[in-house]
Formats: sequence, structure tokens, C-alpha cells
Amino acid sequence: MKLLTPELLDAFFATLSQRWELRLPILLPDGTRIIGSLIDGRLALHGGAVSGKPTAAFFPQQSTLLSVTDGTVEETPSPPPLFIVGFTPSDLASLRFIDRFFADGWRDDLYFTLRENAAIAALSGYCGLGGALIPLAGGDCDLEFFWDRSSWLVIAYSETGKKLIEDLPDAARTEVVELLRQTTPSLPDENETVIRAASLLLRADRVPDSFWAEIGDRCIACTGCNLACPTCTCFGVQDWRSANKTERSRMWDSCQLDGFMREAGGHNPLGSEAERTRRRIHHKLAADPQKWGEISCFLCGRCDAVCPTGIGILAVAGEIVARFA
Amino acid sequence: MKRTLTVCPYCGVGCTFYLVSDGGRLVGVEPSTTSPVNRGGLCVKGWNAYAFVHHPDRLTTPLMRRDGVLQPASWNEALNLVVERLQAVQETHGKDAVMFASSAKATNEENFLLMKLARAVFGTNNIDHCARLCHSSTVTGLAETFGSGAMTNSISCFDQTDVILVIGSNTTEQHPLIGSRILNAVRNGTRLIVADNRRIRLARHAALHLRHKNGSDVALLNGMMHVIIAEGLADREFIANRTENYDALAGSVTDWTPERTAAATGLSADKIIAAARMYAGAGRAMIVYSMGITQHSHGVDNVRCIASLAMLTGNVGRLGTGVNPLRGQNNVQGGCDMGALPDLYSGYQKVSDPLMRDKFARAWGVSSLPSEPGLPLTRAMDTASEGRLHGMFIMGENPMLSDPDQGHVRKVLENLELLVVQDIFLTETAAVADIVLPAACFAEKEGTFTSTERRVQRLHKAVEPPGQARADWKIICDIAERAGYEGMRYSSPAEILDEAASLTPIYGGIIYKRLDAPGLQWPCPDQEHPGTPIMHLDRFSRGLGHFTPVSHRLPAELPDEQYPFVLTTGRTYFHWHTGSMTRRTHLLAREEPCSFIELHPDDAAMIGIRNRDMLLVSSRRGEIRTEARMTEMVIPGVLFMPFHFAEGAANALTNNVLDPESSIPEFKVCAVRLEKIP
Amino acid sequence: MTDTPLRKSLYLPTECEIISVTDLTPVEKLFRVRRTDGLPLGHLPGQFVQVSLLGWGEAPISVASSPTREGIFELGVRRVGALTSAMHTLQTGDTLGIRGPFGRAFDLSRLCGQDLILISGGCGLAPMRSLIQYCEDRPSDFGRVAILYGAKSPADRLFKDDLARWDASARFACSMTVDNISGGDCFSGSVGLITRLIPPLTFTPDTTIAAIIGPPAMYRAVIAELYKKGLSSSRIAVSLERQMRCGVGKCGHCSIEHLLCCQDGPVFWLNEIEHLRGAL
Repeated sequence: MKLLTPELLDAFFATLSQRWELRLPILLPDGTRIIGSLIDGRLALHGGAVSGKPTAAFFPQQSTLLSVTDGTVEETPSPPPLFIVGFTPSDLASLRFIDRFFADGWRDDLYFTLRENAAIAALSGYCGLGGALIPLAGGDCDLEFFWDRSSWLVIAYSETGKKLIEDLPDAARTEVVELLRQTTPSLPDENETVIRAASLLLRADRVPDSFWAEIGDRCIACTGCNLACPTCTCFGVQDWRSANKTERSRMWDSCQLDGFMREAGGHNPLGSEAERTRRRIHHKLAADPQKWGEISCFLCGRCDAVCPTGIGILAVAGEIVARFA
Repeated sequence: MKRTLTVCPYCGVGCTFYLVSDGGRLVGVEPSTTSPVNRGGLCVKGWNAYAFVHHPDRLTTPLMRRDGVLQPASWNEALNLVVERLQAVQETHGKDAVMFASSAKATNEENFLLMKLARAVFGTNNIDHCARLCHSSTVTGLAETFGSGAMTNSISCFDQTDVILVIGSNTTEQHPLIGSRILNAVRNGTRLIVADNRRIRLARHAALHLRHKNGSDVALLNGMMHVIIAEGLADREFIANRTENYDALAGSVTDWTPERTAAATGLSADKIIAAARMYAGAGRAMIVYSMGITQHSHGVDNVRCIASLAMLTGNVGRLGTGVNPLRGQNNVQGGCDMGALPDLYSGYQKVSDPLMRDKFARAWGVSSLPSEPGLPLTRAMDTASEGRLHGMFIMGENPMLSDPDQGHVRKVLENLELLVVQDIFLTETAAVADIVLPAACFAEKEGTFTSTERRVQRLHKAVEPPGQARADWKIICDIAERAGYEGMRYSSPAEILDEAASLTPIYGGIIYKRLDAPGLQWPCPDQEHPGTPIMHLDRFSRGLGHFTPVSHRLPAELPDEQYPFVLTTGRTYFHWHTGSMTRRTHLLAREEPCSFIELHPDDAAMIGIRNRDMLLVSSRRGEIRTEARMTEMVIPGVLFMPFHFAEGAANALTNNVLDPESSIPEFKVCAVRLEKIP
Repeated sequence: MTDTPLRKSLYLPTECEIISVTDLTPVEKLFRVRRTDGLPLGHLPGQFVQVSLLGWGEAPISVASSPTREGIFELGVRRVGALTSAMHTLQTGDTLGIRGPFGRAFDLSRLCGQDLILISGGCGLAPMRSLIQYCEDRPSDFGRVAILYGAKSPADRLFKDDLARWDASARFACSMTVDNISGGDCFSGSVGLITRLIPPLTFTPDTTIAAIIGPPAMYRAVIAELYKKGLSSSRIAVSLERQMRCGVGKCGHCSIEHLLCCQDGPVFWLNEIEHLRGAL
């Protein structure tokens, strides 16, 4: 375990930036906190989960699938190695989930071209919103930065991670991390209790259609829930053609849109707001557990934050539990 | 990876977000989490606002018509020709033979410059923009009653009100981040009255849904005022202290008993009484309206009634109250504020006032400015066909699809001596132009937009314009320069806003360095002024609020045997106006790929139409083909159609009958007939 | 298109050449295609390919021919949107891209030795044709094979020549129906919905397997008739149509609860999906 004092942060990242493209939690001019580049805002490691889909680094809102100029397929230049800081343990769980998703069956090479080129650092410790404790990640990343209220204790989980911090001094006092390592698994999380209870109710078919119609009535189809979600992976595909060039790209799509599953002939298996709303929640809490063995909502709270009408997954799960448990 | 804070280019709510770019290409959008307007959310158009920017259809070079075909030209050639031919038209036919159409999509700075170009350089007041088509009734009606034609309150007020009356606004679709606030307010106990005969999403949450006949708003509002006065629910103190001409109003609604109102609106008397009691009985009540009120041949009268209803109950000048016209375009408020209007300079200063003319003439270094108000956009087509208008310069508008009676518009535009169109895509209008100038879009330039709540916010340049495209303000300056005018040299849009602020009292304190997020709300008369979230606090802008009595007039064209259906037009959630941007955005285009018309299942059954059948819809102006969509959104006898689609264009059918005062066309009511295409 | 890059992307189509184009109906065409590199498609009956036209996009199209017809494959394409309209302008010698074959095929090992009832409606005959041709080419693999086909009108029937041949063949028992018939039509089948063709069938439920491909509205009605005849849901295969954007289980557009139509289907055993929301 290494030690990184706040005053050495800038120098540390400056050294890294010689070999890596850095993406760090930053504060943008209007106070929005995201993972981005230091040219756009100042470093802001404290504050918990950043806004925006953290997995966007590997699955961007829009990316090119295929570009053909004068009949020739353009080779995509290999991207520079990426060093990303700012994943919370929940974000890491999401990343693990979609790593598995994109690898399963047909391996999505576009995703893994970016993913395998990146080193990931998690943030934990007392650096949550208002100094709240973020539990220890304990793995699923190359590095973990743990804020012990005065310094960052840096833990490496991979060879890449070890190399990155080999020049840092060893940390002297690491008891706090050890303590958390032992207690983390038993830390109760109210949200997790709710989401698990809602999942059970859904899988037991205890939630009536009228409930989904009611929630659907409150959905303005902004698609923000899907677009902010770190485990939402659905995409649409478009072709753009000009005189000598065709570009095929994919972009984040949303199951909350009527056209998502509508077929050319007009038939639509997700043809009502109620069905689409059910799908959004059911997919994470019932379908994914059946397919992947785990609920695919890791409680990051982004859909609840981004939803203009208060029907993010936690809010809806809460209503399910309150009404049907 | 770069993030650039900017303002959404679609509706007038004023949501802010970051454009995400990578290597000079936009790759996404991230909402601002600190914006007091959108609070971390966006609607589907906002989330996809990056997606059309690099579309291969973008105009990248000036075009000039040679041998009947638009062909690439250099900026030098194109700009010289624009000036040369504008001047030639003016020399032959007089100064007022040309008209400038500005754009509610363009920035404040660009609107200010185009009106300066028209007035100071080309000596005509023929400058207008698409506010003529949406809220000119508001500008006229509220200026008369309150003294200012803007939303009186702020968006945050929706969180702090007891009753919301939504009349003629499909808020969740057209101003989604305001619509969502209304939904949240209802969850928190606010009672909602929806007056709209379409069963819009808000209606599902309404305590009262009034499905009154199209064009019977004056009757409904007069009827509600009758009940309020008769039942002693009026705010006597507010009326006494803050208003004038109350007796005339009270007299005018005496006859509007619930029974008479019921007959005129098709509602039950009980519902009218219940609505009146609910609105008047609230501690704080807000009225929200939009095109359903303004786009009538009696649009100004509708607005007057709304103003009266609010004053009658003392619901103006306080938190959670007010008259809240929701402005449609991202910068339609700014377009009006900046004087892209035929009778007004920036800040609603009248061109007919010699003092104002003198002030602007001195600032702009010209000897005089024209004194006669110019042509409203909606009268341009008729004026041209009468041979009194020969050249048009259109910046960022697409009248071929957006204006009523498309057949007439096409004939006029094709017959003009000169048509110049400045736009980002080759729109239907640009396609018939003589000269086309390629403009930068919102993501490619600096400037400010003013939102519906009068909030002035900055947009920032995220990427370079494609090819040779340039920001509108630069193009306008180039034209001025070539026309021999030296008073239009600016190093940046900030300097243009400085000039506008110095001439525009309501913008007096609005300068770039004060416009960090979340911007400033006008009136903001000086640089110490914090801006104005709620207007008319202690006094109305005009002093006392003025009650104007209004009598009910029917729409100009009602159904008859030949054309038995009422057609009302509007927009969908997924598309923006004439679709030049949204129909080039994959997800949005997928959601609504083609022209359609909503009709009630009973009507469909009557003429043997099934869902998705192709229909021939015709009116006295034209006929179009479109797809049938059966839905109980509409009432029997009424059809709804969006105007986005060039193929199956609703405006081939609409009626260019104008409100006599605001010159707004009656987009909301015309008569049509339906036939099934075998 | 260039030489195959070192690592071929999942999303890069393979070039194919059109050998012939045949009109099936006024709105449907049959494209006979082969890979430009000469390799076989390597599909099984029931699988689909993502057909790609650069500038127009991709769409999932079922393979209409059997892998037993080597060297070529056929695609039946109905003109419904921009991509399929563009496809309809293609001619012999033109190229198009394909990715695939994708998806789960008919379970030939389970079909082997069984009596088959192959039920299709409308353009569902195109994918069914792959299986029918397979039966035609491997006559000894299966028991009795009944072909049931329903179309809107005689003119709307696909593969009219094939239908006539199958009808004449002793290998198949064909029955056909159309929704409407007009004066000039020459048609020997019955008039009415496809469900009418099932009650007259005689078969042993324990040794019979039914396969259904058709428009969305058809499945439930046909299944109900088969149940009446005692066929169990584990002996009914259905091929479902969805709007796959990727074909490889990533885009999410074809999900049915926890299943993906492009990976777990498009051919499902009915007992796998009949309880799932939105499946039928």
C-alpha cells in the first residue's frame, strides 16, 4: 500500500500524463462533476460518484462501427492508453457486469479495443459526498485510491497498477483500510435491501400491470435513465452517406422509446408505455438475474438523479416494495 | 475528450448541457447537474442534440443559382452578389421592397445584427422572425394588459404553486422539462386543470380536464370569470390597487353564464364552475399557455382573457402565480427582445417613437432610420404577390414548411426577384433560393440565447463549422461591410451584446462577464441588478394592469358539408418544427419517421379507415397524403397533424387567415375532408 | 471493400455477389447470392444474416435456402423500409454485405425421424423454405412432412413455383389457404385463415413436430389449434421476428425478457417462451 499526499497529487498525475491519456473526476465550470480531462476543469476527487455514465469511456454515446471511403474500409487508429480515475465500487461492479456482457458469445471488439487499453482506478474511503464513507472496492480495478481523511492510500490490484505507483512511498498507517476490509461485506445498505425486495416481488410476478401503467404515465420518454445507466448497453445503428464516404455508427439507445422494438411492419412487442416501463425495471431486476445470476442495478443512483419525474429505478423499486410487499 | 457548456438548441426552456467532443467531433451530451432549469435532466431531443451537427447534408459552401441549378460559389462571389442584388431590388422598387427574416434559432447577437442590418444598412423596417407564427399574440396581448409580453414568473415557480391551469400547451411534449415539473408538482399536491381537447399526457394527471371546442377559449375564460365574479371569488384588493378598467370587464362577462359558456364550448356547466372555483380558490395559481391560445384569428383576445383571469384573482406578481406563455424556440424570446420585429427595436422600443429612432440612429451612426413599421412575416407572401415585395433575405427559417398555405408560399418564393437563404441545411426554402449561405450551428459558435423565463445564457463553441460555413453574425457583418456600412465591426459576440445592452434598458446590465451559469433573467437594467425572476411584483410594467373586455369570435373556417372535419396542427415530442435537424437525428427520426394524422376511432370507423391506412386530406388550399393514426387523443370530428414533414405537409392545408392585431395565422383551426387512398 | 484486416471486426460485413434477382410478388424479391471469397455461408435452416447496404444500414434477413444447396444462398426480401427499398434496386452482379449467419437454427437432430408439420404465413414462407428444401434434399431424415401455407391472396403467395412442385411431390402433403380471392385468380386451395388447415390434419402427437413462422398475429391462433390436436409445447418450434440491429447479442433490440431473439432464437421451442411477456 502506497501513500499519496494531497500536495503530491498534481505531480503524480502530471507524471502519468506523459504515458497515459488521463480521465479524472473534474469539476466543470458550472459545478457539474464528471470524469474528464483536466483542460476542462479542476481535479475533484472528492464527492462520490460522478455524473454521467462512467462506462462511456469504453462504450461512448456515439462511436464509429465502420467507415468506408471510396470503397476502402478505414483502419481505426489505435487509441492512446487511457488511465481513468473515479469509479466507485458500485461503478466497478457495473463495469464488471458489462465486461462480461460484451465478452459473452460474440465478443464486441470495439468495446474491448478501448477497455483493454485502459487502466482503472477506484475511489473509496471518506471521499463521498460531504465526507461520507465509500466502501472499499477491494479489486476489479488496477488501483484503488482510499481517502483516510488526510491522504490517499493507494492499493494496486494488477501488475499495471503496481508499476504505476512503484515510485510512491509506502503508507505507514493502513489500519483503517484493514478494518474496512473486514467490515465492508457486512455494511448494511438500505437501497440494496429495497432493490433486492423489489427484485423478488417482480420475479414472483407480484407487480400488476396497472402499476406499470401508472409509472408509465409519469414517463416523458426522455431516455435519461438508460443514457446515464452504467449497465445499459443497448444501441442503435445509423448510416451516414456522402459522395465518397459512408459511415456506420452506433449510439446509445433506449428501451423507453416506442421505436426501440417497433418492426417495419408496425408490430411492436413493446408497444405501450406500461410495457416499456416494466421492461426497464424488470430487465435489471428479474431478466438479468435469470440470465446472469445477478441484479444488474448496482445502486449508483444516476437514473434517479437524471429522471425529471422521479421514476428512477430506486424510486420505482421503493414504490413496489411499499405497495406490494 | 472535451466538454463545452452550452444551451439546448430546441425549445425555449433553456436547458444547459455539455457537448462532449473527441478530436473535433461531437460524440455526446451530458446534462448540467447544477442548472436551476433542467437540474441534471434533459428531454430526448436534448440528449440527442449533438447528433445532427456533423451530418453529411450540412451546407459547407455558399451556393449560387446558375442555369437554374444551385452551384458552389466562393464567399466573395456570393456576398457581393447578395449585396448587389439587394441594392438593385431596392433601387428599382424602393427600400421596402426587401424583407429580412431573422431566426428564433439564432443568437441574440445575430438577431440584433440582422435588425440593425435591415434598419441601419438597408433602411427598412421589414424585419421579422418566426415569433410572428407563435407568440406574436402574446407580445401584443400582454404588452397591452401588463406592459410586457414575456412569461411573468420563473420555471422554479412550478414547484411552489397550488393550482396550475394549462391551456393550449402540450407541456410534457413541447417543454418537457417544464412539463415534468408540473407532473412533480401534482405528485406533491398541486391541483392541475388542463383545458385542451387533446388528451395530452398532462390530462392523465389533471383534477379537471376540459375538452372544449377548438377556438372556444374566449368563451371558456369569460365563463370562468363570470363564475368568479358571481361567486365573489375575485381578489377585490388586487383589482382596486393594481388594475384599471375592471368595470368594463365585469360588464362584459355578465352574460357569460355557465349555461351559455357550456353551449359555446361543448363543456358541461358543472365543469366550468369547478374550474373557476379551483383556479380562483387557490392561494397561488399559475396559468401556462402556448400555441393553443395564440395561433388563432382571435389569438390576442385569448391572451387578453388569460391576463384578465389572472388579474381578477390577484395571481400576478407573486411566487407561484402568473401568466406564463411558454416560448417555443430556444431563442424566440431573444429574437423578440432584440427587436427582430417590424415595429419594435430591441427591448420593445417603438420605431414609431422619434426619440427611439434618434437614439438608435445616433448609436449606429446613420442620419435617420425608417419610421413606418415594416411588414410582419405573415403578410410578406401576400405583399409579394401584390407586387410590393421583391426580395427576401431569410436567415435560419423555413417558411416553405412552417408557414400556412404552402402552395401560396411556394408560388411567392419562386417568383421573388431575389431570395437569399442562410441556413445550416438545404431546407425546402433554401432549395428554391437564388443564393444560399452556409451557417454555423449552435455548437459551432459563441453567443447568447434567452429562454422562456427571460434567462439569458451563453452558448460556447465546441467544434468548428463544416467546410466554409460561418457563424451567422460574421456573415451579417460581412454583408454590412460590403454594403458600405462601417458600423458593424466586432471582434466577438460579446461586443455585439454590449452594444445591444447600451441601447436596450431591459438588457442594460447583461454583459458576458456576468453570464456564467446560470445566466441572468431580464429585466436587468444595470450591472449591479441581480435580474428579475418574477415580474410585476409591486407594479405592472405599464403601471396598472389593464382589463380588456373581449367578445367571443368563431374561428375563420369551420367545418361544413364539403370539409366536415376540424384540423388542428402542432408538433410531436420527437421533432423540431420543419425537421431539418431532428429528421437527421437517427433516434428521433426513427420514433416519428413519417407524416401522420390523428383521428378518433369513431371517425375512422365511420369512413372505413384502419390504423396506418394512407389518407388523402384536403382543404380549400391544398391536399396531401398522410398516414392514419387512430387514437383517443383527439375528440370525434377533430383531427390533429404535426407540421414537420415535407412529404405530407400539414401547412399545405392550413389557412393563412390572420389575427388582425398580431398577424398570427390560424394554425389551430381549419376545415378539411378525408378520403381513403385505396 | 479491402482485404480482410488482421482482426476482423464483429461489425464488418463480408462482401457477397448477387447471382440473380427474381420477383416473388410485386413487393417481394428473391436474391440468389454467394460470398465473393467463394466460401460457403455455413448456415443451418432457421438462421438469419444481417444484410448490409452501405449508406442504407443493416437488416436481419432469414436465409430462404437450404445449406444442402451448396455454394449459394437465397434471401427473400419484402420492400418495407429504406434499406429494403434500396435492396430492391439491386441487380445481378451487384454486391451487398452480409454478417452471419446468426442465431439458433431448427434443431435438426430433434426433428430427425419425426413427422413434421411446417406452418407458415405470408413472408414466413421464406425462412421456412430453408427447412422445406432441407427435407426435400434429405428425404430419408424425416417422416411425413406436411406443408401448410397461408397468404393474403393468391397473388401474394411467395415461391409459387416451389409451392406447385411441393404440392405435386409425393414427399410433401401441402395445404394452402388465402384470406381473399378475386374473380380472375387461379387458385386451388381453400379460402380463410390458416387455422382452418389444422383441424383436418391427422398425426400422432408423440412423433410429430410442428414449426411455425408467420406474421405476429398468426402464432397464438395456430398454437391453439395444435394444442387442440394434442401436440405439446415442447414439440412446437416457433421462429420469431424481431428488429435485430446487431445480430450478435449486443444491441438489445430483440430481447424477450431474459432471452435474446438473435442468440437464443430466432427459433425457439414454444415451452421456452410461451410464458414470457411479449414473446408471442
